[in-house]
Amino acid sequence: MFDTTQATWAAFWIIGAFVLFFALIPLLQTLPPRGRYMLIAVFTFISGLFFAAEFFLPVNEEGKNILTDPFQRLQGSLQVITALSLGLGTYGLIRLHLRNAVQRRPQWGYSLVLLIAFVTMAFFSVWNTLAEKELLGVQRTPLLERAFTLLFDYTLIQLDATMFSLIAFYIFSAAYRAFRIRSIEASILMFTAMVVMIGIVPLGKFISDSMGLPTTLTDEMRTNPFMLENILYNLRLPQIANWILNALNAPVQRAIEFGIGIGALAMAIRLWLSLERGIN
Amino acid sequence: MGSYQHAQDNWFAAFMIGFIALAVLINIWRARAGRELYIRRIPGLDAIDEAIGRSTELGRPVTMIPGLTAFGVEAVQALTIFKYITKQIARFATPMRLLTANATVYAVAQEAIADAYNEAGRPDLYDPDSVRFLSSEQFAFASGVAGLLQRERVAANFMFGIFFAESLIFAETGNIVGAVQIAGTVSITQVPFFVAACDYTIIGDEFYATSAYISREPVLLGSMVGQDLAKIAFGSLILGGAVLSTVLGADHPIIQLLGKPGGWEPFMEWIRLKLGGG
Repeated sequence: MFDTTQATWAAFWIIGAFVLFFALIPLLQTLPPRGRYMLIAVFTFISGLFFAAEFFLPVNEEGKNILTDPFQRLQGSLQVITALSLGLGTYGLIRLHLRNAVQRRPQWGYSLVLLIAFVTMAFFSVWNTLAEKELLGVQRTPLLERAFTLLFDYTLIQLDATMFSLIAFYIFSAAYRAFRIRSIEASILMFTAMVVMIGIVPLGKFISDSMGLPTTLTDEMRTNPFMLENILYNLRLPQIANWILNALNAPVQRAIEFGIGIGALAMAIRLWLSLERGIN
Repeated sequence: MGSYQHAQDNWFAAFMIGFIALAVLINIWRARAGRELYIRRIPGLDAIDEAIGRSTELGRPVTMIPGLTAFGVEAVQALTIFKYITKQIARFATPMRLLTANATVYAVAQEAIADAYNEAGRPDLYDPDSVRFLSSEQFAFASGVAGLLQRERVAANFMFGIFFAESLIFAETGNIVGAVQIAGTVSITQVPFFVAACDYTIIGDEFYATSAYISREPVLLGSMVGQDLAKIAFGSLILGGAVLSTVLGADHPIIQLLGKPGGWEPFMEWIRLKLGGG
């Protein structure tokens, strides 16, 4: 349940976002393209400056500065924008499939199924939410319970699981293509993948044990890395698999992540200063 | 282990952010001043025109999928690429579909694609239904995309953005229908799936280089050079940090400054002690 302050804030943000949304559209359309661009650039710069200032300003013992609370409220207002655009997206989806069904376009049957599913799911979902929150005097009924369980637990979740399980088969066919030995690189990939796959499952331990390789790392072995037992211990398949994952795979992933981070930061700066004209 | 919520958590990290920003801005300024900048070849991006040509020859649609990307820098980058592809498509009147799982991306994509047709001089070819919001649910979206790829037998499939488990469903379905596929993602865990199932894969920060590569705009090229300088700086820091960590030990204040949230205070304390002691 909301308390009064939260509810007031929520109402304030929702109404404010609506007013801003519906006031800005006609205003933007009356402006010439250059004026529109300037307005958006100034708005973007001020918003970006606010978020940057919140990060750079010193904080108190609670980890907050003067902008932290408004920052959190602003993040909440972004959800309102998302909700507005979700309405737009749903409208587009319904319009397309309604037109498909009415005009009997090719494969219009699929559109009809979508529309029926959409209306049914939306109806029971709204009913269930109202009953859950005890709003508008709506009560839970056996019909609602049964329909909701049937639609969401026995249909939606199962369909999701079905799609997810398809990935197992797709991984198999993709891996078959990737591991086909066609070049030196593919051969290295195949060999490395085999070692890692065998090394991280009990088979790797079994093979290593069968070969008589040391099973534990003693203190003496730890202090002398060039000891024969130590070298043999590190030739165990689980150790090799771990080394490939931690010493080869992880650094490469981190290097890519560094590049991604820098690229995202550069892109954010270009957007903040309206230097990025890609989709303008 | 804490995290970097504010600059105060580690002023050194904040300084590095400032350094990257400065490197990017200075190089943008240099590029604007007319300085010639070099950008290496990215085969995946050269193949975009080839894939569009194939779709045109076959008369089958081109699909563009920004994945589950929420509206942010990745979405802007993906839409920039899609806008370029649409401009090329518009020249040959090839049909296209842009399929999204995010309603905000959908709203912006509609504008971007309409703009692309306008800029190509073919506003008559723009079909608002070609940009589609399918579902915000991951696997409902995945099944919607897979169904469309199968039904329309697409000839080229472009996937740029953030992807999760659904990536392989898209890529394998595209492969089954024989589409030329080019993917670019910042989702590291999905890269192996794209490499296995797509013809070309754009990895990591190459994704952010795409708009510069395609447009050759000085601002973007300058930004790329700034990014490269930042990467050299980070590389040097990593090497220096590894050497120092080996020599001084992982708990030394310099190492804490380089790699840990809250590392600023022990470092300053150490400096104060050094200065006081000296």
